[in-house]
Amino acid sequence: MLVIALGVICNFIIYLAFGSLITMPYNKKREGVKCPLLLSVVTGFFFYYFVFFFVCVPPMQYFRPLSMLTSIWVPVVASVVLLSAVFNGKLWVKWLKNALSYVRRHPAAIILLTVLLSIQIVLVSCTYNFTLDAAYYVANVATSVDTNMMNVYDPFTGAWQDHYEMRYFFATYSMQDSVVCQLTGIPALIWTKSVMAITIILLTNMVYIMIARELIVYKDGRKDSIRNPELAVVIMTGIMFVVNLTFITIYTSSLFLMTRTYEGKAIVGNLAVMTLFYLFIRMNDESINVRPWLITFIVCFGAATISSSANMLLPVELTVLFIPMIFRKKKWSMLLKYAACVVPGVVFSLVFVLYVKGYFVLYTFPK
Amino acid sequence: MQSLNVTENGIWYLRECLRAYTGACAYFMLYAAALVYVCVFGSKREKEIFIPCSVFLLVTVYNPVSPVLLDRFFDVNSEYYRFFWLLPVIVLIPYLCTKLVMSGGKTKTAAVLITAILILSGKFVYADGIKLAKNIYKMPPDLISVSEAIHADSNVEYPKAFLEYEYNMQMRQYDPKMQLTIDREDYLYVMTNDYTDEMLKDEEHPQYRLLAELIKLQDVDPDAFVDALEATKTEYVVVIKDHPRIGYLEKAGLKKVAETSEHVIYKYDVKEPYVFELVDYSVVY
Repeated sequence: MLVIALGVICNFIIYLAFGSLITMPYNKKREGVKCPLLLSVVTGFFFYYFVFFFVCVPPMQYFRPLSMLTSIWVPVVASVVLLSAVFNGKLWVKWLKNALSYVRRHPAAIILLTVLLSIQIVLVSCTYNFTLDAAYYVANVATSVDTNMMNVYDPFTGAWQDHYEMRYFFATYSMQDSVVCQLTGIPALIWTKSVMAITIILLTNMVYIMIARELIVYKDGRKDSIRNPELAVVIMTGIMFVVNLTFITIYTSSLFLMTRTYEGKAIVGNLAVMTLFYLFIRMNDESINVRPWLITFIVCFGAATISSSANMLLPVELTVLFIPMIFRKKKWSMLLKYAACVVPGVVFSLVFVLYVKGYFVLYTFPK
Repeated sequence: MQSLNVTENGIWYLRECLRAYTGACAYFMLYAAALVYVCVFGSKREKEIFIPCSVFLLVTVYNPVSPVLLDRFFDVNSEYYRFFWLLPVIVLIPYLCTKLVMSGGKTKTAAVLITAILILSGKFVYADGIKLAKNIYKMPPDLISVSEAIHADSNVEYPKAFLEYEYNMQMRQYDPKMQLTIDREDYLYVMTNDYTDEMLKDEEHPQYRLLAELIKLQDVDPDAFVDALEATKTEYVVVIKDHPRIGYLEKAGLKKVAETSEHVIYKYDVKEPYVFELVDYSVVY
């Protein structure tokens, strides 16, 4: 239990370090820019996988062992955390003080939220679910650690594969799990189904809380009609949980979140989709002045490295959310930024189609 | 959605896809009602946030022609439903419910009513009961015993085994040193199909005979079954204790080497022993 708790805490510290490098003010003139702590952590999650992708793919493509990736990745993470601590240390202290002050001002809301999150943590980490896809994802982590190679052996049978599965080649999420398992000695099942499941359920709820706050505690100079907005945020987050518990068929994103939390698809279908929706609300309100499009780009690219489902899903979401907004606001310069956010998904999709149609093959051995 | 096909269903694919996606849940209906509410009573901001994206989704993702067009470029048969994840059901319905609870005078009544509507609108994720994991690995304890028993008996680092469906899908998550005879696709096939005589004679796929005999309970000649074990280099066969083919396995010459609380482990002595070794990549770098 201690290992699981430490794993989750370490994850959040790393995400905060990565995220605040994106959300911090870069110069004194922009001292006034503000970004919520929660958004920094969520951004950090996607930025972490974005950076990992560029470190992971070259060694994998050239058949290097997992241990080589681990030995590269650990200094990268340590450097980023250190760099971020140097630049953002004061900001973190300020955020911590603000958070503590918030807890003191709204103890009832915090207690209720803690109960709500605890129930979800227990549900995703203590229940037994048989899912077919875990046979690939979790077994791939276990296989990579055991063989000290990346995506080279078939997770279903253990047999050697002569070429990489393109569907999973760019989705390096499970290789990150492998790196951590190799580094710490934590078994793949415990890391994926407990540590990552809890991490993802917490991150998703953080985005729910951010969305609820944006919708309910809306500040544009007018008084909102909702009394006790903090309680309203808790209630909305609670109802979101009820929907996730009850909007269940084998296809809904709620089912993925509640039973297959650690899978890339669940992360894309819940965390990434909702983060983009949150960013859309903020950009629609013009209430975010800290690199909103950079964060959007990182979410889109990061999600594409988590699951290939993001390649088709997020470009469509970007289009249905942002194109009407751009036209309504007549901010045509945003079109270019929107296009940049769509590019990762489109490029990955095209590469996948070319691979499937046999235009090129990535072998797992020099040919 | 493996069972749905755009080519077969044409523009009706979307309807069938939606039907399978929503099942007995009424959340899409609630969403439509919530959208009408926003249209009529919503603020300008609420309309800006929820209406354009819903309309845009309606004319794209929920357009019956879209899957037909997309299918010309990508195979969307089994994955089109994921576009339904984009509709912000999880945001709009809770948001309006919260407004209702917080703005009215009868807060408790509204809260109870809304919770009841939501629960009645869907299917509870743990409708079949909450199954608590029995260990930190979230694996059946018996599977762990099977793994330990095989490794204790085997002389090689990577023994090869035939396992029944659930254990086959779970074993390598726990024990990556276990080689498996049957892959996922073969098991997906066997769940809904029988093997033809032609398939049972197929020398390129000897695993069909193992699946036919032990999973589909089709009659396979014991010699052909043993040949399949030999061809696939399967040393261990693990079946549930009351499996109807236990006598068949013993008759085919397999020896019982261990028993767990739920399974029996049989061993076949492969004539030409097979030792799985990891590929030596040191010659590459």
